[in-house]
Amino acid sequence: MTITAPRRRPYRAPAPLGGRARAPHRRRPGLKASVFLFPAIVILGAFVVWPMISALRLSFTDASGFGAVHWVGLENYVRVLSDPKIRESVVNTVIYTATFTPTAVLAALVLALLVNNPRMPFASFFRTALFVPFMVSLAVGAFAWSYLIDPQVGLLNYWLGAVGIHLGNVLEDPTLALPAVAMVAVWKSFGFYFVIFLAGLQDIPRSLYEAATVDGANWWNRFRFITVPMLSNTFAFVLVFAVIAALQAFDQIYVMTGGGPYGHTQTIVMEIYESGFRRLELGFASALSYVLLIATLLLSLIQFAFFSRRERDLS
Amino acid sequence: MTRKTSLAFAAAGLAALAVAGCSPTATPTATATDPSGSPNAETVELTFWHGYTEADGDVLNKIVADFNASQDAIQITTEVNPWAVIDDTFLPALAAGTGPSIVAMPAERLPVYANRGAFVALDDWYASPDSNAASLNPGAVQMVTVGGKKYGVPTGFVPLAMYYNKALFAAAGITAPPTTWDEWVSVAKKLTIDDNGDGTPEQYGVVLPDHATVANGLWPSLFYGNGGDIVADGTTAVIDSPANADTLRFWQDAIASDHISPTGVDGIGADGVFSSGKAAMTIGGPWMVFIAADNKIDYGIAPIPAGPVTQAASAIGVSMAITDQGDPVKVAAAKKFFSFFFNETNTVAWSLGSGWPPLRTDIAADAVAENPTVVALTAQASLGRPLLPGVVNSVDVLAAVDELTQRAMAGEDIAKLLQEAQSSIQAALDAK
Repeated sequence: MTITAPRRRPYRAPAPLGGRARAPHRRRPGLKASVFLFPAIVILGAFVVWPMISALRLSFTDASGFGAVHWVGLENYVRVLSDPKIRESVVNTVIYTATFTPTAVLAALVLALLVNNPRMPFASFFRTALFVPFMVSLAVGAFAWSYLIDPQVGLLNYWLGAVGIHLGNVLEDPTLALPAVAMVAVWKSFGFYFVIFLAGLQDIPRSLYEAATVDGANWWNRFRFITVPMLSNTFAFVLVFAVIAALQAFDQIYVMTGGGPYGHTQTIVMEIYESGFRRLELGFASALSYVLLIATLLLSLIQFAFFSRRERDLS
Repeated sequence: MTRKTSLAFAAAGLAALAVAGCSPTATPTATATDPSGSPNAETVELTFWHGYTEADGDVLNKIVADFNASQDAIQITTEVNPWAVIDDTFLPALAAGTGPSIVAMPAERLPVYANRGAFVALDDWYASPDSNAASLNPGAVQMVTVGGKKYGVPTGFVPLAMYYNKALFAAAGITAPPTTWDEWVSVAKKLTIDDNGDGTPEQYGVVLPDHATVANGLWPSLFYGNGGDIVADGTTAVIDSPANADTLRFWQDAIASDHISPTGVDGIGADGVFSSGKAAMTIGGPWMVFIAADNKIDYGIAPIPAGPVTQAASAIGVSMAITDQGDPVKVAAAKKFFSFFFNETNTVAWSLGSGWPPLRTDIAADAVAENPTVVALTAQASLGRPLLPGVVNSVDVLAAVDELTQRAMAGEDIAKLLQEAQSSIQAALDAK
């Protein structure tokens, strides 16, 4: 007769929150995921990856979209870097970005702070109303603004004229045209950034403000030491989006000024359009697009790096 | 059905959808059929893109329908692509190999496509006695000539003209339109009214856009009038000339000092100023007749007044061409349509329907007498000069002219501006 020791159930630690991790799947783990990803991969491949590869190839040729294509090496890139017209469009784009980005971001932040205030009346109404311009097509909005500020028939000019302010022919004024088209983009875009900021503000725990208030912090200190740091990620997201949008400025410029007066609103994307569709220089337009893509990528990386470091410093 | 089977079906379905989505779709076209009802195997099908959207479009469609009905071998389907976007649709279509067989476009856009091999040269068709092309307006043919070869045929060629408001003329006691520049400025001064004395007239004598003018033709017309030009032989910039400097100074004085015209206006804006009754004269194309009528303006048509040297007007041109798709059968079919388009009956019908002068110089004046606009414009046809014929990079040349005139009318130094324009235009002409 043998005596066997009672079987002991081995100790197993309680499952963590969110459930226990599953054992590795014995079957091919990626099959199901691949099937579900397939449509997205096809769409991205056909409409993003392939055009990018195709444009890269075109950028080393003299392609016009039809007919014979010849390899020209780096000629298009050399021209991008040396053409004075391209330099002018880069300057215009930088000015546009420097006008649009801070204005749109600050307007969105200020309005988000106002609407986020619990004492703000009609907050729901303002939240919706401020977002509405973002729902309007930029081309449609640009047409509407063109008529509003028209010196002959514009309502805005008429109303401002009644109080002694004469805007003049803004879109034909070399100093005012670029800020004017930038402001139309601000009007169109700030609603989106506003909603992002509002979501970020609502994610900040009220307890932080309450504790700070108990400690005697005034409004500015609460904003400076709670709101700003806690919105750091949101800032990064909004800034990157705003800068990318600014670098791609086209719609309202095409509609409102066509790049004029005499090139003062000619941005890089306008130049890409004219090179490709008006001069039929698709190879050169592709090279310019790639230079813009690389510049945008670098700027975005710099912004992310800056905000990541800032976040580390704060933590 | 197991989950695995379901996934397999789903994947197959998605793949099928994706492949279907990428497949070229068939475009419905008007196709000739034989009596049995099946498509005639020998019928050549052509597509024809154009931007004629008003009454002219109806007339063009009728001519095409008549051509289709006149024989069984060729069937043409027309498709409207507004002039403003025809570039944006034509280029991708060419790139995708789905372009039209025939395309009509503003004449100044034809050379850039022809230079890159998009169109078939038509010199043999022009030389053929059956083409009906022998008496086409030489200026119109010049607009489709690139590097000595003819790459298209004209569908419109009309000099810019002066349109004036008869009621405003009568109110100022003016009985006839001006015929010289001096008269033009003098009449415009009388018609300029600044009642409140704020320096901004409530009514202008004339509206002269300083950039993006109608068909880009106003300033070239004024340069011609004083013996100047923009480009010689399609290869050499000649804009920096004493004649052009004098022209710009003359109009700078009239506009900046005498305020006879608003400044900073483009061609579309000029149409608006005239149609709202805020200007008594404008320079425009035949469509001004419809704009004036829509706005209940009693209008008159007169030639652009003569300059100190000559009387000339830049012409608005529209051309059509055959795309080079490597199909000689389609090219031959399109040429047959061109011959049909230019027979006497269709030339007259097209002129009356479009409101533009007949493209053939041998059409008798009384053939178009029923349309007074056509009569008035036909009388001016000899003044018309093609704009930048054979210039491939017209985009940059016209941009340089726009910058010159806009800055000159804003009061900047004309000599310096002309030097800059000369350099920009020559660079555009020298570009590959």
